[in-house]
Amino acid sequence: MSGQMDDLDLLLAGARDGAPPSAALMERVLADAAVLQPRAAPVRAALPPARGWLSDLFDVFGGSGAVAGMSAVTAAGLFFGFVQASSLTSLTTALQGGTEVVESVELLPGNGLIWAGE
Amino acid sequence: MARDTLAEVSDEALLVLYANGDPDAARSLMQRLLPRVLAYAARMVSDRTEAEDVAQESMLRLWKVAPEWRQGEAKVTTWLYRVVTNLCTDRLRARHRRRAVALDDAPEMPDGAASAVSGLIARQRLDALQAALDILPDRQRQAVVLRHIEGWGNPEIAAVMDIGVEAVESLTARGKRALAAAMSGQRAVLGFDEEDDAP
Repeated sequence: MSGQMDDLDLLLAGARDGAPPSAALMERVLADAAVLQPRAAPVRAALPPARGWLSDLFDVFGGSGAVAGMSAVTAAGLFFGFVQASSLTSLTTALQGGTEVVESVELLPGNGLIWAGE
Repeated sequence: MARDTLAEVSDEALLVLYANGDPDAARSLMQRLLPRVLAYAARMVSDRTEAEDVAQESMLRLWKVAPEWRQGEAKVTTWLYRVVTNLCTDRLRARHRRRAVALDDAPEMPDGAASAVSGLIARQRLDALQAALDILPDRQRQAVVLRHIEGWGNPEIAAVMDIGVEAVESLTARGKRALAAAMSGQRAVLGFDEEDDAP
């Protein structure tokens, strides 16, 4: 029985390689594959973003970066002009040494000395 | 992708490439899978023309499923062999029904005389093996072919046949015993005895 099984194993192993597929069969299979294959989406070049009139206007002032800088400075100027923050007033006072109201200023020394010689 | 590069790509990756429109992926997959699928189908249905139809239909279903293929869920070969198994089973059932309806028209089984005419011992042996395989019940034949001819492991066969591993072991064991019994009367005709007795 063992020898019989060994013979059978040999026979089964020898049967592994069947006849290769015919050329006609391979052509049919490839034709099916070609019909059913999904088409790859065509690759399109990315379009540049559309430019509006605002972009052209910004270019006159040196581009959007420069316009943004100018806008920021303008806004800051307006802010300080309207608000007059007390801290800012204090700062200028400190820098200028204070303001003292003087009613009269004597530009020449008293003339009593001149007349004293007479 | 270049064909040389595709030779090292897995079946699953090739299927994804095919689904993505790679023109060479289909040819590479076909060259890999079609010979195996055809040989398996030929063993199952024992008819070259029918086996070619089954192989073409199986590959067709593979092309169809490619866009929806879920990577990592199943091996391509396991899926494909399951399709082949189902198609062969359908054809064998239809054949049995036709035979039941018209017994007189049923094709005759190959006999020893037909094999002896060929004159080639190797060819005789393969013919006898095929004749013995044809006698087996369908499920036993599937299990024996997958295990002993295709060389698959029991877990893979279980996945293809959609049964448990223990059921596969049982089917292959019973199938092989039945094969041995079917061929026991032909050992002398097939030249096994002469080889065994040779010094």
